[in-house]
Amino acid sequence: MSKDVVVDIQGLTKSFGDRKIFRDVTLQVHQSEVVAIIGPSGVGKSTLIRCVNYLHPFDQGTIRLLGHELRGGERPSAAVLQDIRTHVGMVFQTFNLFHHLSVLDNIVLGPVEVKKVPRKQAVERAHELLEMMGLTDWAKAYPRRLSGGQQQRVAICRALAMDPKVMLFDEPTSMLDPELVGDVLEAIQRLAQQGMTMILVTHEMMFAKEVADTVVIMADNAIAEMGPAKQVLENPQTERARNFLARVLRNTPPADIPQAVVGGDPD
Amino acid sequence: MHVAWLYLGPFLQGTGVTLELTIVSTVVALVAGILGALGMIHGGKILRAVLVVYVELVRGLPPILQLFIIFFGLTQFGVQLDAFSAALIWLMVYGAGYAIEVFRAGIQDVSEGQWEAARSVGMGYFTTLRKIILPQAFALMMPELTNFTVLQLKNTTFVFFIGVADIMYQAQQGAASTEQPQVMFVMAALFYLVLNGGISRVAALVERRLTAYR
Repeated sequence: MSKDVVVDIQGLTKSFGDRKIFRDVTLQVHQSEVVAIIGPSGVGKSTLIRCVNYLHPFDQGTIRLLGHELRGGERPSAAVLQDIRTHVGMVFQTFNLFHHLSVLDNIVLGPVEVKKVPRKQAVERAHELLEMMGLTDWAKAYPRRLSGGQQQRVAICRALAMDPKVMLFDEPTSMLDPELVGDVLEAIQRLAQQGMTMILVTHEMMFAKEVADTVVIMADNAIAEMGPAKQVLENPQTERARNFLARVLRNTPPADIPQAVVGGDPD
Repeated sequence: MHVAWLYLGPFLQGTGVTLELTIVSTVVALVAGILGALGMIHGGKILRAVLVVYVELVRGLPPILQLFIIFFGLTQFGVQLDAFSAALIWLMVYGAGYAIEVFRAGIQDVSEGQWEAARSVGMGYFTTLRKIILPQAFALMMPELTNFTVLQLKNTTFVFFIGVADIMYQAQQGAASTEQPQVMFVMAALFYLVLNGGISRVAALVERRLTAYR
């Protein structure tokens, strides 16, 4: 495995019971690379990235990251799991903020409980992250007082507070009202510019084209095509990829295409 | 109403017994309930089966029969319990059976996404439970837990059948020896209402704190 490969997925296969989710997925993610995974619903895009931090076990294949190797059908030790999860940040479609904790405590809890960072230091870092996301005034609020876009940006802060080596985004904008999507995408784009290694499952084609280095199209429970973003999206080589893109572009009126960089607060 | 004054002392003693039974058994039942619920949700097949049988026994048998089994039945096996111990053990066993189901439902009502989010920042099982899942489960369960504690207090009255001197027992004694049973039973009713009113009041305050985030 070449030196700057951060996540090396080889021959990954997963089923839920009798239902095959995906088979024989091989994908390498390099340092500072942004990989966008797109494709129709139900082809296992989300499940795939959830395997990377082992929120889902898988049946066959291997994932190598952070000096560990996860093997299909073998449960890793608690220490390995914790090490991986400590260094792999994840942002969920449904935000999943801890409802009973303030925005600040949502961000501080991981570093304090898991990494044993002194609370004072963790709080300082949390305020920096909130400032970066334009959420300075919300530190003391409970998550449910925030808009979806704000909650998702807090979730990004929570993941970043662990100083992750890799970030996973699982359809981070698909639960958001259209006018709130821009701020979240902008935050992700900023991370990409700062050199964060990311794997992003998304339905935002324009965003993928603009921000991702590599685009992976999944269809029929496997990788249909992958390569440099522009090439794959503008000039797909395989029929399955072409079919998918034709369907998506037909269903996306121009007005709905998100503008990646839109400033301002959703409220 | 001098009869009432005469019996105030015994009633207060009875209140001490009732409260001791309620508080100790409720605390034990709640702890056992959390552990049992976790066994039901995350335990292996055998543990789950044992817990299901336990809950069904507690729910299925009449309270008074359970109490008699512990107090009289166990003597067959050489276990001779004094009435208070038998009463306390029964209340713990009985309460735990119901608490397991309350906590199982409460813990399962916290969305799976909360577990996933906690795992994704590297938290282990028990940290996740303590910091994320249980605080939210308690907030969701407060109405049931309040109800549970009130019922637990009312269930202490069964122990009067084996001669434990709780409030009910004192009322019965008074009724038998003063020929004014109505006064004694009204007094007992007032005592129980005040105690349960207190529980509801405290529970409402706790609930308000726990659910502030919603």
